[in-house]
Amino acid sequence: MDGYGNLIAGRLRKLAAAGSTGTLPFSGHCGGAIHFHDGQVVYAESTRTPGTRVVAAAGVPLPGGPPLAALPPLTRLAAILAVTEPAVDAALELMSAESRYGRFRPARVPAADPACGIPVDSLLAEVTRRQRLLRQLATVVTADTAVARNPELNSPGVQVSARQWAVLIRVRPGITPRALAWELRRSVFSTTAEVYRLLVLRLLFAAGQPARAAATGLVSAGAAGLEAAGLEAAGLEAAGLEAAGLEAAGLEAAGLEAAGTGTAGMGTAGTGTTGMGTTGAGPADGHGPALISFIRAVASEPGATRRPARIGSGARRQGPLALPPAG
Amino acid sequence: MTVPVADTLLVPVARIDGCALACLIDASTGMVIAAMQREGSISLPAAAGGAADIANVVGLLSGELATGDGLEDVILTFNHHFHVIRPVRPDMDTQILLLVILDRTRTNLAMARRAIRDFCTSLSA
Repeated sequence: MDGYGNLIAGRLRKLAAAGSTGTLPFSGHCGGAIHFHDGQVVYAESTRTPGTRVVAAAGVPLPGGPPLAALPPLTRLAAILAVTEPAVDAALELMSAESRYGRFRPARVPAADPACGIPVDSLLAEVTRRQRLLRQLATVVTADTAVARNPELNSPGVQVSARQWAVLIRVRPGITPRALAWELRRSVFSTTAEVYRLLVLRLLFAAGQPARAAATGLVSAGAAGLEAAGLEAAGLEAAGLEAAGLEAAGLEAAGLEAAGTGTAGMGTAGTGTTGMGTTGAGPADGHGPALISFIRAVASEPGATRRPARIGSGARRQGPLALPPAG
Repeated sequence: MTVPVADTLLVPVARIDGCALACLIDASTGMVIAAMQREGSISLPAAAGGAADIANVVGLLSGELATGDGLEDVILTFNHHFHVIRPVRPDMDTQILLLVILDRTRTNLAMARRAIRDFCTSLSA
Protein backbone atom coordinates (compact mmCIF):
# COMPACT_ATOMS: atom_id res chain seq x y z
CA MET A 1 0.00 0.00 0.00
CA ASP A 2 1.37 3.44 -0.86
CA GLY A 3 1.73 6.36 1.54
CA TYR A 4 -1.76 7.71 1.09
CA GLY A 5 -3.20 4.26 1.36
CA ASN A 6 -1.44 3.92 4.71
CA LEU A 7 -3.05 7.17 5.89
CA ILE A 8 -6.49 5.86 5.04
CA ALA A 9 -5.68 2.52 6.68
CA GLY A 10 -4.66 4.31 9.84
CA ARG A 11 -7.89 6.30 9.88
CA LEU A 12 -9.98 3.18 9.36
CA ARG A 13 -8.19 1.39 12.20
CA LYS A 14 -8.86 4.29 14.54
CA LEU A 15 -12.55 4.21 13.69
CA ALA A 16 -12.58 0.44 14.23
CA ALA A 17 -10.83 0.75 17.59
CA ALA A 18 -13.37 3.33 18.70
CA GLY A 19 -16.28 1.05 17.73
CA SER A 20 -17.68 3.79 15.50
CA THR A 21 -21.02 3.83 13.71
CA GLY A 22 -21.39 6.25 10.83
CA THR A 23 -19.90 7.24 7.51
CA LEU A 24 -16.43 8.26 6.40
CA PRO A 25 -16.88 10.26 3.18
CA PHE A 26 -14.35 10.50 0.38
CA SER A 27 -14.01 13.13 -2.31
CA GLY A 28 -11.78 13.89 -5.23
CA HIS A 29 -11.33 12.00 -8.48
CA CYS A 30 -13.07 9.05 -6.86
CA GLY A 31 -15.75 10.03 -4.39
CA GLY A 32 -17.59 7.67 -2.13
CA ALA A 33 -17.97 6.54 1.45
CA ILE A 34 -17.15 3.75 3.87
CA HIS A 35 -19.91 2.92 6.31
CA PHE A 36 -19.26 1.61 9.81
CA HIS A 37 -21.31 -0.12 12.47
CA ASP A 38 -19.74 -0.79 15.86
CA GLY A 39 -16.28 -0.50 14.36
CA GLN A 40 -16.87 -2.92 11.49
CA VAL A 41 -17.25 -1.96 7.84
CA VAL A 42 -20.78 -2.76 6.73
CA TYR A 43 -20.56 -1.25 3.27
CA ALA A 44 -18.46 0.90 0.99
CA GLU A 45 -19.32 2.72 -2.20
CA SER A 46 -17.48 4.74 -4.77
CA THR A 47 -18.34 6.69 -7.90
CA ARG A 48 -16.06 4.51 -10.00
CA THR A 49 -17.45 1.09 -9.08
CA PRO A 50 -21.00 -0.24 -9.62
CA GLY A 51 -21.60 -0.77 -5.91
CA THR A 52 -25.24 -0.58 -4.97
CA ARG A 53 -26.26 -1.44 -8.51
CA VAL A 54 -24.58 -4.79 -7.94
CA VAL A 55 -26.46 -5.24 -4.72
CA ALA A 56 -29.73 -4.28 -6.37
CA ALA A 57 -29.06 -6.65 -9.24
CA ALA A 58 -28.51 -9.46 -6.76
CA GLY A 59 -31.85 -8.69 -5.13
CA VAL A 60 -30.21 -8.16 -1.78
CA PRO A 61 -31.89 -5.56 0.36
CA LEU A 62 -29.99 -3.08 2.45
CA PRO A 63 -31.33 -2.37 5.97
CA GLY A 64 -34.89 -3.46 6.58
CA GLY A 65 -34.80 -6.63 4.53
CA PRO A 66 -35.17 -10.22 5.71
CA PRO A 67 -32.49 -11.26 8.20
CA LEU A 68 -29.63 -13.31 6.77
CA ALA A 69 -30.24 -16.19 9.13
CA ALA A 70 -33.71 -16.67 7.61
CA LEU A 71 -32.31 -17.28 4.15
CA PRO A 72 -31.38 -20.73 2.77
CA PRO A 73 -27.62 -21.37 3.00
CA LEU A 74 -26.71 -20.78 -0.63
CA THR A 75 -28.91 -17.71 -0.84
CA ARG A 76 -27.33 -16.47 2.36
CA LEU A 77 -23.89 -16.98 0.87
CA ALA A 78 -24.88 -15.20 -2.33
CA ALA A 79 -26.35 -12.37 -0.28
CA ILE A 80 -23.17 -11.98 1.74
CA LEU A 81 -21.08 -11.98 -1.40
CA ALA A 82 -23.41 -9.52 -3.08
CA VAL A 83 -22.69 -7.02 -0.32
CA THR A 84 -19.05 -7.72 0.47
CA GLU A 85 -17.74 -7.88 -3.10
CA PRO A 86 -18.94 -4.39 -4.09
CA ALA A 87 -17.83 -3.07 -0.71
CA VAL A 88 -14.32 -4.43 -1.15
CA ASP A 89 -14.32 -3.24 -4.76
CA ALA A 90 -15.21 0.27 -3.66
CA ALA A 91 -12.70 0.26 -0.80
CA LEU A 92 -9.98 -0.79 -3.26
CA GLU A 93 -10.87 2.16 -5.46
CA LEU A 94 -11.06 4.66 -2.62
CA MET A 95 -7.73 3.67 -1.12
CA SER A 96 -5.84 5.31 -3.94
CA ALA A 97 -3.96 8.55 -4.16
CA GLU A 98 -6.83 10.17 -5.99
CA SER A 99 -9.31 10.20 -3.10
CA ARG A 100 -9.30 12.21 0.12
CA TYR A 101 -11.29 11.30 3.19
CA GLY A 102 -13.36 13.89 4.99
CA ARG A 103 -14.73 14.24 8.49
CA PHE A 104 -16.36 11.15 9.93
CA ARG A 105 -20.14 11.54 10.30
CA PRO A 106 -21.48 9.57 13.25
CA ALA A 107 -24.92 8.02 12.87
CA ARG A 108 -27.25 6.00 15.04
CA VAL A 109 -28.52 3.75 12.27
CA PRO A 110 -26.02 1.87 10.08
CA ALA A 111 -26.25 2.46 6.37
CA ALA A 112 -26.29 -1.24 5.56
CA ASP A 113 -27.13 -4.58 7.16
CA PRO A 114 -24.75 -4.94 10.12
CA ALA A 115 -24.90 -8.72 9.76
CA CYS A 116 -22.40 -8.41 6.89
CA GLY A 117 -19.85 -6.51 8.94
CA ILE A 118 -16.25 -6.90 7.82
CA PRO A 119 -13.43 -6.38 10.33
CA VAL A 120 -11.22 -3.51 9.21
CA ASP A 121 -8.02 -5.56 9.32
CA SER A 122 -9.60 -8.21 7.09
CA LEU A 123 -10.75 -5.54 4.65
CA LEU A 124 -7.32 -3.94 4.51
CA ALA A 125 -5.64 -7.32 3.97
CA GLU A 126 -8.01 -8.08 1.11
CA VAL A 127 -7.46 -4.66 -0.47
CA THR A 128 -3.70 -5.18 -0.29
CA ARG A 129 -4.03 -8.63 -1.86
CA ARG A 130 -6.06 -7.22 -4.72
CA GLN A 131 -3.57 -4.43 -5.27
CA ARG A 132 -0.83 -7.04 -5.66
CA LEU A 133 -2.99 -8.97 -8.12
CA LEU A 134 -3.68 -5.83 -10.12
CA ARG A 135 0.05 -5.24 -10.35
CA GLN A 136 0.34 -8.71 -11.90
CA LEU A 137 -2.20 -7.73 -14.53
CA ALA A 138 -1.08 -4.15 -15.06
CA THR A 139 1.55 -4.96 -17.68
CA VAL A 140 -1.26 -6.22 -19.90
CA VAL A 141 -4.51 -4.63 -18.78
CA THR A 142 -5.96 -2.32 -16.16
CA ALA A 143 -9.55 -1.42 -15.38
CA ASP A 144 -9.27 1.51 -17.79
CA THR A 145 -7.49 -0.19 -20.69
CA ALA A 146 -9.47 -0.25 -23.92
CA VAL A 147 -9.94 -3.77 -25.25
CA ALA A 148 -11.38 -5.19 -28.42
CA ARG A 149 -12.40 -8.56 -29.72
CA ASN A 150 -9.78 -10.43 -31.65
CA PRO A 151 -10.96 -10.64 -35.25
CA GLU A 152 -8.68 -13.55 -36.09
CA LEU A 153 -10.09 -16.88 -35.05
CA ASN A 154 -8.30 -19.75 -36.63
CA SER A 155 -7.68 -22.50 -34.12
CA PRO A 156 -9.52 -25.41 -32.53
CA GLY A 157 -12.43 -24.57 -30.29
CA VAL A 158 -12.37 -23.83 -26.61
CA GLN A 159 -15.14 -23.43 -24.09
CA VAL A 160 -15.56 -20.30 -22.06
CA SER A 161 -17.47 -19.92 -18.84
CA ALA A 162 -20.81 -18.20 -18.62
CA ARG A 163 -19.18 -15.21 -16.95
CA GLN A 164 -16.63 -14.94 -19.73
CA TRP A 165 -19.28 -15.21 -22.40
CA ALA A 166 -21.25 -12.40 -20.79
CA VAL A 167 -18.15 -10.23 -21.04
CA LEU A 168 -17.27 -11.36 -24.55
CA ILE A 169 -20.58 -10.49 -26.16
CA ARG A 170 -20.51 -6.98 -24.73
CA VAL A 171 -17.04 -6.08 -25.96
CA ARG A 172 -17.02 -3.38 -28.59
CA PRO A 173 -14.19 -1.15 -29.79
CA GLY A 174 -12.86 1.14 -27.08
CA ILE A 175 -14.65 -0.44 -24.17
CA THR A 176 -12.81 -0.89 -20.89
CA PRO A 177 -13.16 -3.46 -18.09
CA ARG A 178 -14.61 -0.72 -15.91
CA ALA A 179 -17.35 0.07 -18.44
CA LEU A 180 -18.07 -3.64 -18.80
CA ALA A 181 -18.39 -3.93 -15.04
CA TRP A 182 -21.02 -1.19 -14.99
CA GLU A 183 -22.95 -2.84 -17.80
CA LEU A 184 -22.76 -6.26 -16.19
CA ARG A 185 -23.37 -4.89 -12.68
CA ARG A 186 -20.32 -6.73 -11.42
CA SER A 187 -17.30 -5.59 -9.49
CA VAL A 188 -14.61 -3.79 -11.45
CA PHE A 189 -11.93 -6.04 -10.00
CA SER A 190 -13.57 -9.31 -10.98
CA THR A 191 -14.41 -7.97 -14.45
CA THR A 192 -10.81 -6.87 -14.97
CA ALA A 193 -9.68 -10.37 -14.00
CA GLU A 194 -12.14 -11.94 -16.46
CA VAL A 195 -10.99 -9.62 -19.24
CA TYR A 196 -7.42 -10.63 -18.46
CA ARG A 197 -8.37 -14.29 -18.76
CA LEU A 198 -9.95 -13.57 -22.13
CA LEU A 199 -6.77 -11.79 -23.17
CA VAL A 200 -4.79 -14.89 -22.21
CA LEU A 201 -7.21 -16.91 -24.35
CA ARG A 202 -6.58 -14.34 -27.09
CA LEU A 203 -10.26 -13.80 -27.60
CA LEU A 204 -9.58 -10.17 -26.76
CA PHE A 205 -6.64 -7.89 -27.23
CA ALA A 206 -5.70 -4.72 -25.39
CA ALA A 207 -5.34 -1.38 -27.13
CA GLY A 208 -1.82 -0.82 -28.27
CA GLN A 209 -1.08 -4.52 -28.53
CA PRO A 210 -1.22 -6.51 -31.74
CA ALA A 211 -4.18 -8.81 -32.15
CA ARG A 212 -2.33 -12.10 -32.15
CA ALA A 213 -4.08 -15.00 -33.78
CA ALA A 214 -6.51 -16.28 -31.21
CA ALA A 215 -6.25 -19.62 -29.54
CA THR A 216 -9.86 -20.25 -30.48
CA GLY A 217 -11.74 -20.76 -33.68
CA LEU A 218 -14.95 -21.90 -32.13
CA VAL A 219 -16.36 -20.78 -28.87
CA SER A 220 -18.44 -23.77 -28.05
CA ALA A 221 -21.42 -23.69 -25.80
CA GLY A 222 -23.44 -26.38 -24.14
CA ALA A 223 -27.16 -26.72 -24.44
CA ALA A 224 -27.32 -26.12 -20.71
CA GLY A 225 -25.24 -23.02 -21.16
CA LEU A 226 -28.17 -20.66 -21.52
CA GLU A 227 -29.47 -21.67 -18.12
CA ALA A 228 -26.01 -21.63 -16.64
CA ALA A 229 -25.52 -18.07 -17.86
CA GLY A 230 -28.42 -16.99 -15.76
CA LEU A 231 -30.58 -16.15 -18.72
CA GLU A 232 -28.19 -13.56 -20.06
CA ALA A 233 -30.36 -13.30 -23.14
CA ALA A 234 -33.28 -12.20 -21.03
CA GLY A 235 -30.99 -9.78 -19.29
CA LEU A 236 -29.94 -8.34 -22.59
CA GLU A 237 -33.55 -7.82 -23.66
CA ALA A 238 -34.48 -6.32 -20.36
CA ALA A 239 -31.64 -3.88 -20.55
CA GLY A 240 -32.49 -3.08 -24.11
CA LEU A 241 -29.04 -4.16 -25.17
CA GLU A 242 -30.00 -5.13 -28.66
CA ALA A 243 -26.61 -4.09 -29.89
CA ALA A 244 -25.03 -6.69 -27.62
CA GLY A 245 -27.47 -9.20 -29.05
CA LEU A 246 -26.33 -8.27 -32.50
CA GLU A 247 -22.77 -8.72 -31.34
CA ALA A 248 -23.67 -12.21 -30.17
CA ALA A 249 -25.25 -12.87 -33.53
CA GLY A 250 -22.11 -11.52 -35.11
CA LEU A 251 -20.10 -14.10 -33.25
CA GLU A 252 -22.39 -16.74 -34.73
CA ALA A 253 -21.93 -15.37 -38.21
CA ALA A 254 -18.18 -15.50 -37.73
CA GLY A 255 -18.44 -19.24 -37.27
CA LEU A 256 -18.61 -19.30 -33.54
CA GLU A 257 -21.69 -21.41 -33.27
CA ALA A 258 -21.59 -24.13 -30.74
CA ALA A 259 -20.41 -27.29 -32.34
CA GLY A 260 -23.34 -29.62 -32.61
CA THR A 261 -25.89 -27.48 -30.88
CA GLY A 262 -26.47 -24.81 -33.48
CA THR A 263 -26.94 -22.20 -30.81
CA ALA A 264 -24.40 -19.72 -29.65
CA GLY A 265 -25.12 -19.45 -26.01
CA MET A 266 -23.15 -19.34 -22.86
CA GLY A 267 -20.59 -22.02 -22.55
CA THR A 268 -19.57 -23.53 -19.32
CA ALA A 269 -15.97 -24.48 -19.11
CA GLY A 270 -17.04 -27.96 -18.19
CA THR A 271 -16.84 -27.10 -14.56
CA GLY A 272 -18.67 -23.87 -14.18
CA THR A 273 -15.43 -22.46 -12.88
CA THR A 274 -13.74 -19.67 -14.70
CA GLY A 275 -11.96 -20.94 -17.74
CA MET A 276 -8.43 -19.69 -17.86
CA GLY A 277 -6.53 -19.02 -20.99
CA THR A 278 -3.50 -20.81 -22.23
CA THR A 279 -0.45 -19.39 -23.76
CA GLY A 280 0.25 -22.60 -25.60
CA ALA A 281 -2.79 -23.35 -27.69
CA GLY A 282 -3.13 -22.12 -31.21
CA PRO A 283 -0.26 -20.41 -32.97
CA ALA A 284 2.97 -21.24 -31.29
CA ASP A 285 4.30 -17.78 -30.59
CA GLY A 286 4.25 -18.56 -26.85
CA HIS A 287 4.34 -14.91 -25.84
CA GLY A 288 0.87 -14.44 -24.42
CA PRO A 289 0.30 -13.09 -20.94
CA ALA A 290 0.91 -15.39 -17.98
CA LEU A 291 -1.93 -16.90 -15.98
CA ILE A 292 -3.23 -14.97 -13.01
CA SER A 293 -1.71 -16.40 -9.87
CA PHE A 294 -3.53 -15.79 -6.60
CA ILE A 295 -0.85 -17.53 -4.64
CA ARG A 296 1.80 -15.20 -6.02
CA ALA A 297 -0.14 -12.32 -4.51
CA VAL A 298 0.21 -14.05 -1.14
CA ALA A 299 3.83 -15.05 -1.56
CA SER A 300 4.86 -11.48 -2.26
CA GLU A 301 3.61 -10.24 1.13
CA PRO A 302 6.44 -8.47 2.98
CA GLY A 303 5.86 -10.46 6.14
CA ALA A 304 5.46 -13.80 4.41
CA THR A 305 7.52 -16.49 6.08
CA ARG A 306 9.87 -18.15 3.70
CA ARG A 307 10.97 -21.56 4.80
CA PRO A 308 14.14 -22.85 3.15
CA ALA A 309 13.84 -25.94 1.02
CA ARG A 310 14.92 -29.02 2.94
CA ILE A 311 17.07 -31.64 1.29
CA GLY A 312 15.23 -34.94 1.34
CA SER A 313 11.81 -33.39 1.28
CA GLY A 314 11.58 -33.46 -2.47
CA ALA A 315 13.84 -30.49 -3.08
CA ARG A 316 16.57 -31.12 -5.63
CA ARG A 317 20.15 -30.12 -5.21
CA GLN A 318 21.47 -27.93 -7.94
CA GLY A 319 24.99 -27.53 -9.17
CA PRO A 320 28.01 -29.85 -9.07
CA LEU A 321 28.87 -31.93 -6.05
CA ALA A 322 31.93 -30.80 -4.14
CA LEU A 323 34.83 -33.09 -5.03
CA PRO A 324 37.28 -34.22 -2.39
CA PRO A 325 40.73 -32.69 -2.66
CA ALA A 326 43.13 -34.62 -4.90
CA GLY A 327 45.65 -36.88 -3.23
CA MET B 1 -10.83 -11.83 4.23
CA THR B 2 -13.73 -13.56 5.93
CA VAL B 3 -17.13 -12.32 6.88
CA PRO B 4 -17.79 -13.62 10.40
CA VAL B 5 -21.47 -14.31 9.76
CA ALA B 6 -20.50 -16.61 6.88
CA ASP B 7 -18.14 -18.70 9.00
CA THR B 8 -21.06 -20.45 10.66
CA LEU B 9 -21.98 -22.03 7.32
CA LEU B 10 -18.88 -24.22 7.65
CA VAL B 11 -19.80 -25.82 10.98
CA PRO B 12 -20.90 -29.12 9.35
CA VAL B 13 -17.61 -29.33 7.45
CA ALA B 14 -15.55 -28.59 10.53
CA ARG B 15 -17.08 -31.69 12.14
CA ILE B 16 -15.48 -34.03 9.56
CA ASP B 17 -12.86 -36.22 11.23
CA GLY B 18 -9.42 -34.78 10.71
CA CYS B 19 -10.62 -31.43 9.36
CA ALA B 20 -7.80 -28.95 9.87
CA LEU B 21 -9.17 -26.09 7.78
CA ALA B 22 -12.28 -25.37 5.77
CA CYS B 23 -12.98 -22.28 3.72
CA LEU B 24 -15.19 -20.91 0.99
CA ILE B 25 -13.44 -19.02 -1.79
CA ASP B 26 -14.70 -16.86 -4.63
CA ALA B 27 -12.83 -18.50 -7.52
CA SER B 28 -13.04 -15.43 -9.71
CA THR B 29 -11.33 -13.07 -7.29
CA GLY B 30 -9.60 -15.49 -4.93
CA MET B 31 -11.30 -13.87 -1.96
CA VAL B 32 -11.92 -16.03 1.11
CA ILE B 33 -15.54 -15.57 2.14
CA ALA B 34 -15.68 -17.86 5.16
CA ALA B 35 -13.18 -19.95 7.06
CA MET B 36 -12.84 -22.26 10.04
CA GLN B 37 -9.39 -23.37 11.06
CA ARG B 38 -8.18 -25.88 13.64
CA GLU B 39 -4.49 -26.00 12.80
CA GLY B 40 -2.87 -22.63 13.07
CA SER B 41 0.26 -23.80 11.25
CA ILE B 42 -1.54 -23.82 7.90
CA SER B 43 -1.48 -20.49 6.07
CA LEU B 44 -5.07 -19.75 5.08
CA PRO B 45 -4.22 -17.14 2.42
CA ALA B 46 -1.69 -19.44 0.77
CA ALA B 47 -3.98 -22.46 0.87
CA ALA B 48 -6.93 -20.47 -0.51
CA GLY B 49 -4.84 -18.77 -3.18
CA GLY B 50 -3.44 -22.10 -4.26
CA ALA B 51 -6.88 -23.69 -4.37
CA ALA B 52 -8.22 -20.87 -6.55
CA ASP B 53 -5.22 -21.18 -8.87
CA ILE B 54 -5.69 -24.93 -9.19
CA ALA B 55 -9.40 -24.55 -9.89
CA ASN B 56 -8.67 -21.98 -12.56
CA VAL B 57 -6.04 -24.16 -14.21
CA VAL B 58 -8.45 -27.10 -14.22
CA GLY B 59 -11.02 -24.80 -15.74
CA LEU B 60 -8.46 -23.99 -18.39
CA LEU B 61 -7.93 -27.67 -19.06
CA SER B 62 -11.68 -28.27 -19.29
CA GLY B 63 -12.03 -25.32 -21.60
CA GLU B 64 -9.32 -26.54 -23.91
CA LEU B 65 -10.64 -30.09 -23.93
CA ALA B 66 -14.08 -28.67 -24.67
CA THR B 67 -15.73 -31.99 -23.95
CA GLY B 68 -18.36 -30.60 -21.62
CA ASP B 69 -17.00 -32.81 -18.87
CA GLY B 70 -17.72 -31.38 -15.45
CA LEU B 71 -15.32 -31.05 -12.51
CA GLU B 72 -16.45 -32.66 -9.27
CA ASP B 73 -13.46 -32.13 -7.08
CA VAL B 74 -9.67 -31.97 -6.96
CA ILE B 75 -7.74 -33.89 -4.32
CA LEU B 76 -4.14 -33.08 -3.51
CA THR B 77 -2.20 -35.59 -1.43
CA PHE B 78 0.63 -34.23 0.67
CA ASN B 79 2.71 -36.10 3.23
CA HIS B 80 0.54 -35.01 6.14
CA HIS B 81 -2.63 -33.55 4.63
CA PHE B 82 -5.22 -33.99 1.95
CA HIS B 83 -6.52 -30.86 0.23
CA VAL B 84 -9.99 -31.32 -1.25
CA ILE B 85 -11.22 -28.58 -3.56
CA ARG B 86 -14.81 -28.67 -4.76
CA PRO B 87 -17.02 -26.18 -6.58
CA VAL B 88 -20.01 -25.61 -4.32
CA ARG B 89 -22.40 -25.40 -7.22
CA PRO B 90 -20.96 -25.37 -10.72
CA ASP B 91 -23.93 -23.64 -12.32
CA MET B 92 -23.81 -20.58 -10.11
CA ASP B 93 -22.92 -17.32 -11.76
CA THR B 94 -20.42 -16.64 -9.01
CA GLN B 95 -18.17 -19.67 -8.75
CA ILE B 96 -17.57 -20.53 -5.11
CA LEU B 97 -15.07 -23.18 -4.10
CA LEU B 98 -14.98 -25.20 -0.91
CA LEU B 99 -11.47 -26.04 0.28
CA VAL B 100 -11.12 -28.63 3.03
CA ILE B 101 -7.72 -29.60 4.42
CA LEU B 102 -7.66 -32.93 6.24
CA ASP B 103 -5.09 -34.46 8.56
CA ARG B 104 -4.12 -37.77 6.98
CA THR B 105 -3.58 -39.48 10.30
CA ARG B 106 -7.07 -38.68 11.57
CA THR B 107 -9.30 -38.82 8.52
CA ASN B 108 -10.92 -41.33 6.20
CA LEU B 109 -10.68 -39.74 2.77
CA ALA B 110 -13.61 -41.59 1.24
CA MET B 111 -15.90 -40.67 4.13
CA ALA B 112 -14.66 -37.11 4.12
CA ARG B 113 -15.19 -36.77 0.40
CA ARG B 114 -18.72 -38.01 0.78
CA ALA B 115 -19.39 -35.61 3.64
CA ILE B 116 -18.04 -32.75 1.55
CA ARG B 117 -20.26 -33.73 -1.35
CA ASP B 118 -23.29 -33.93 0.93
CA PHE B 119 -22.45 -30.53 2.41
CA CYS B 120 -22.33 -28.92 -1.04
CA THR B 121 -25.64 -30.56 -1.89
CA SER B 122 -27.19 -29.31 1.33
CA LEU B 123 -26.01 -25.79 0.61
CA SER B 124 -27.97 -25.85 -2.59
CA ALA B 125 -31.13 -27.12 -0.93
